[in-house]
Amino acid sequence: MNILTIPLRNLRRKLLRTLLMVAVFSIGVASVTALLELSKAVGESLEEKLAAYGANILVAPRAETLSVSYGGMALGDVSVDIRSLAEDTTLAAITGIHHQDRLSAVAPKFALLTRVRDTPVGVIGVDFDQELRIKSYWHAASGELTPGDGQLLAGAEAAARLRLVPGAQVDVSGTPFTVAGVLGPTGSGDDAMLFADLHALQRASGQENRVHFVEVAALCSGCPIDEITEQLAAALPGTDVKAMGQVVKSRMMTVDFVKRLALAVSGVILLTACVMIGLSVFSSVNERKNEIGLLRALGYSKSAIFTLMSLEGISLGLLAAVFGQIAGYFGSFRLMALLDLGTAAPVFLPAQFAAVFAAVALLSALASLPPALSAARIEPSQALVML
Amino acid sequence: MLTADAVVKSYAAKDAAAPVLRGVSLAIEPGQFVCVVGRSGSGKSTLLNILSSLLSPDAGSVRYQGRDLAAMTEAERNRLRATDFSMVFQMHHLLPYLTARENVLTPFLSGLRPVSAARRRRAMECLDRVGLADKAKRLPGALSGGERQRVAIARALVTEPRIVFADEPTGSLDGDTGTHIMRLLTELNAEGLTVVMVTHEPAYAAMASRVITMRDGSILHAA
Ligand SMILES: Nc1ncnc2c1ncn2[C@@H]1O[C@H](COP(=O)(O)OP(=O)(O)O)[C@@H](O)[C@H]1O
Ligand SMILES: [Mg+2]
Repeated sequence: MNILTIPLRNLRRKLLRTLLMVAVFSIGVASVTALLELSKAVGESLEEKLAAYGANILVAPRAETLSVSYGGMALGDVSVDIRSLAEDTTLAAITGIHHQDRLSAVAPKFALLTRVRDTPVGVIGVDFDQELRIKSYWHAASGELTPGDGQLLAGAEAAARLRLVPGAQVDVSGTPFTVAGVLGPTGSGDDAMLFADLHALQRASGQENRVHFVEVAALCSGCPIDEITEQLAAALPGTDVKAMGQVVKSRMMTVDFVKRLALAVSGVILLTACVMIGLSVFSSVNERKNEIGLLRALGYSKSAIFTLMSLEGISLGLLAAVFGQIAGYFGSFRLMALLDLGTAAPVFLPAQFAAVFAAVALLSALASLPPALSAARIEPSQALVML
Repeated sequence: MLTADAVVKSYAAKDAAAPVLRGVSLAIEPGQFVCVVGRSGSGKSTLLNILSSLLSPDAGSVRYQGRDLAAMTEAERNRLRATDFSMVFQMHHLLPYLTARENVLTPFLSGLRPVSAARRRRAMECLDRVGLADKAKRLPGALSGGERQRVAIARALVTEPRIVFADEPTGSLDGDTGTHIMRLLTELNAEGLTVVMVTHEPAYAAMASRVITMRDGSILHAA
């Protein structure tokens, strides 16, 4: 028994009102939690989709006729006069832009046409480390996904056509490469290609430090793609910098909007709940003026009365913080299933729980501040008015 | 111990011409059992409440152990009410949602630290003293009027005060119950507790060591 006894007993005595207040406040906290989880998950699921989508900025030499996307492109047409960029300066310029921290992958490409058993085939030199970041859909049908220096990866179609299996030898411009793995079908241009290490391929063709284009991935929700594109263009004169996929951009804006809306709605709900807590404590103070006067007559200080009344509001808030967060967390599962967000799921973060808990405690303390202050002003003589 | 000096009090400014107390002076010594008697409306309760620090006088002063109550800080007056002074009201003034024992412990429920075992024991002793140890777990609603008033007396005793102020503690009770409470108060007084009590029962006043008679806001007769 201590200063909590009186507020808790009083809450228990007014059980119906207490439950109602906790329920309303819980709904507020639950919706905030659910919206938080939702906006987190929407962001994640979108980023997942964006990663699968691949790079969204393309850096290539300025050339009107050169189409560098190898999906449906005959590399043979342009390989004779394909223009290239200097690898070192280009990569340095890209990674030196202001928004460099927003770049999730910088994947340079060196394209070469070769013949394997008299069949022409394109070989793309890539930085596997970076490439795998934007090709999250790559998987090895056989062998492995991470070839070493003298090894290469074969696209599904290319492997079938050239009858390549892991361990097979392929001659590229006179340099022997071993097939390390065969990719599963991707449905993209990658299927018809062979992939070797960028530098090994450059050496094999005698064109060290040359790249034909660079794919850049700036994959974060709310990325300033336009700004990044502008910064890249400014840093790389004489090149074409193209942002791909307006869809990406608009979806990112949607996510941003959803997050902001969620925040605003949560704010309004919480504010309403706070006002209700404040009003509840106010009515409690008004009903119990004489009781408070009596406590003052028994020697309670003003600050003890203030604490007593604040604790009533804070107890309501803390109960709501626990119930609300639990309800909001499980509610967000249903909500996500309803919105068909795929693999996205709510994530329980103890830090977030603690932060919301603390925030709700603070809010309910603030909400009970005016009534608690008015309670503290009640004089001991109020005890005489009782009954 | 407790002195009033030319205390004047009126409740509203417009009544200042005919105050409720018109310059009351008296001195209460340790161990006295003082009964304040007089007609209804003569200012007995007002005097008692000014002596017990619940009201402050418009003019004049009240001193406890030589110190003017009006000159004390808020914190000192709180301490005074928490330790040296105790009050028993005409109606019991118990908190309806606390048990008898918890009501007795109320003066100790103003801090974060849990009530000590010694104090909990003391509360049970006080309840035992008023003959209610067996009803410690009851809510006030399940007690009779006399029992509630006895719980209120136990609450007034739990802090081991020097002075108990009681405003017609028997007023709402029937004769036997009232007599029981009076006997309790005289016993406590015999043990050294100073009691200042308002009553209009001549029989009860006869049990006091000192009777002060009020009329129209003045002390008519002090014995
Ligand atoms: N809170 C109050 N407000 C205004 N007038 C009051 C108040 N309390 C008492 N009075 C008036 O003061 C006078 C004295 O009251 P009180 O001290 O209660 O007398 P008693 O206790 O002797 O009956 C009465 O005329 C009463 O009407
Ligand atoms: Mg009276």
